Amino acid sequence: MKRQTSRTAMYAVVAIVVIVVIVLAGGYAAGWFKGSSSSPSSPGTCAPPAGVTIKGAGSTLVYPLMFQWESVYGGGTAVNYESVGSGAGITDITQKTVDFGASDAPLSSAQTASLPATAVTIPESAGGVVPIYNLPGVPTLNFNGTILTDIYLGQITSWNNTALQAINPGVTLPTAPISVVFRSDGSGTTFIWTSYLSAESAAWAAGPGKGTAITFPVGSGQAKNAGVAGYVQKTPDTIGYVDLNYALNGGIAFGKVQNPAGNYVLASVNNTASALKDANPTLPAGTASWYNVSVLNAKGAGDYPITSLTYMLVYQDLSGAYGSALTLTAAETLVDFLYWSVTTGQSYSAQLYYIPLPANIVAADEVSIATLMYNGAAVPNSCGSSV
Amino acid sequence: MDPSTLSSPLPRPRKGHVWGDRIFGVLVAGAGLFVIFLVFAIASILITQSRLAFDSYGLAFLIGTRWDVSHEVYGAVPFIAGTLLTSAIALAIGFPLAIGSAIFLTTEAPRWLRGPLGSVIELLAAIPSVVYGFWGLYFLGPYMRTTVEPILAKSLGWTGAFSGAATGTDVLTAGIILAIMVIPTIAAISRETLAAVPVAQREAAISLGATNWEVTRTAMVPYARSGIFGATILGLGRALGETMAVTMTIGNHDAIPTSLFSQGQTIASLIANELTNSSGPLQYSAIIYAALILLAISLLVNVAARLLLWRVLRVTGGTTE
Repeated sequence: MKRQTSRTAMYAVVAIVVIVVIVLAGGYAAGWFKGSSSSPSSPGTCAPPAGVTIKGAGSTLVYPLMFQWESVYGGGTAVNYESVGSGAGITDITQKTVDFGASDAPLSSAQTASLPATAVTIPESAGGVVPIYNLPGVPTLNFNGTILTDIYLGQITSWNNTALQAINPGVTLPTAPISVVFRSDGSGTTFIWTSYLSAESAAWAAGPGKGTAITFPVGSGQAKNAGVAGYVQKTPDTIGYVDLNYALNGGIAFGKVQNPAGNYVLASVNNTASALKDANPTLPAGTASWYNVSVLNAKGAGDYPITSLTYMLVYQDLSGAYGSALTLTAAETLVDFLYWSVTTGQSYSAQLYYIPLPANIVAADEVSIATLMYNGAAVPNSCGSSV
Repeated sequence: MDPSTLSSPLPRPRKGHVWGDRIFGVLVAGAGLFVIFLVFAIASILITQSRLAFDSYGLAFLIGTRWDVSHEVYGAVPFIAGTLLTSAIALAIGFPLAIGSAIFLTTEAPRWLRGPLGSVIELLAAIPSVVYGFWGLYFLGPYMRTTVEPILAKSLGWTGAFSGAATGTDVLTAGIILAIMVIPTIAAISRETLAAVPVAQREAAISLGATNWEVTRTAMVPYARSGIFGATILGLGRALGETMAVTMTIGNHDAIPTSLFSQGQTIASLIANELTNSSGPLQYSAIIYAALILLAISLLVNVAARLLLWRVLRVTGGTTE
């Protein structure tokens, strides 16, 4: 009996080993292990110090781009980014568990006040937010700020509303009630969306307001872009909002939104990029707050109105903030990566449906990055001096 | 008391045994004290971290009906209501099903079916809650929206409990998911206690000419009552604290549900949704305050259950498990 058991166990072990070997061999053939052993092929001249990995966390909007940056910058091991959501990114940088936070919403005054040290805000990319909906058989719908606000306020409750019908002539809208969907987790996407609704409606600005996680008057909350998109796609008569890059990557249909010039615009990388250029906001200097910087509702004829910058947050005095937990080499890598992401890194934007930063914002970023300090001196790096 | 004086025929323990007993005693005492320490550790963190909200709102937090992040107005009623409502639905639906299946398994089911069916019920308890949530989100929710809720709205809409748009992502769906999740807990323990009813007791009832229903009602359920009651409280505890499955099905809306078709939020789903993303220290603290309320509700339910059980047993002359 005992011998039989041990023989069975042996067979099991052999079988497991064989399966593992086959899977690993197959995986090798399929290129699973290429990522870590690839030769450094990064374009650009930065050469970060080897041997350290800096940590970042936050925005899910910027994650696909950040993932690309992670894999090309410094041979793929210099940066480790976790996409935990903008709200959590701010929490993480506040608690100093990461070297940089990423958020689609700039720090509010309350959040700035709860930081243990002065932080610098560095916009590193930009994106748009689009309305998605599920109305079987209905072609691309037109929306405007007033109607979107009224839907999210619960004042327009059915799809065949006269105001919505008026801007969608020739479309047969169903009589069904509208079910509103929002993000249940703290999200930069919600910040962008509610900033737009606030800009469009005094009632929204005074009521629900703008923020990464606000209390919505009506509707149901789903987690992440994927949760909102999945729910809307499965449930007829719903309306929700997701990041433009998420919608384009996933092939999700979305509606047109009327811009200040009066045109109904279907969001794309090009018309969000032109919006960013045309908006041309006054940029804050130094460590001043970016909270009221808005690139919404740009005036150009073809500009998409719901656009926003997304930000990285770092402490200005790195040795002061982290003490010995952050070495000088790590600080150099961090600063290097910041320079690289706002310059060379921008070339990865378009292929991932992000919007490259306009030159004036890159210039402002470089000034901000140059103010970072370690032990009272500027942080040396291989990147910054060359740009 | 010295064990050697208890009864003389016992052999004197050898020296090694005494040492072994001492070590054993210290180990189990340590384990027991550690568990108590854990309770205090959790409670003290909840109390210190909720201090800011407590200082701002005091007990008015318990009757505050608005939760508005943008204006930093925080009240716990929406979540207390959501928690109690979903748990009530869970028990209303889950309890009869669980007790029914437990009685079926101990009295009516053919012997060959009892083992497999019992295992299936216990399997339900082993399914991770995220899987229930997934099933609720992608199967039960759409089914509720297209089929069940329109029927309820048509037939019972006049009550006001089934008004509003049928979305399938609401308090009712979350309650039904919870009902499914509490069934195995209640059924498994009830079945054990029903099975422990002495055969003589059942046979006595049968010999008096009792029908199956009468045997169950007069001989079995009264005997197993305290066990069934305890099982129900355990089930209720699970419903009150369940997080993942509720978050995925309730709609996560920070308002008091006005009907069973309303989106809502339980205290547990509030913590899951908003704690890591809180927009400031006050919101964070208010969420912890809500967690403290959940702890208090669970404690109250347990104490109330014990008192009730104690009273019932005293009145009826005490049948124990």
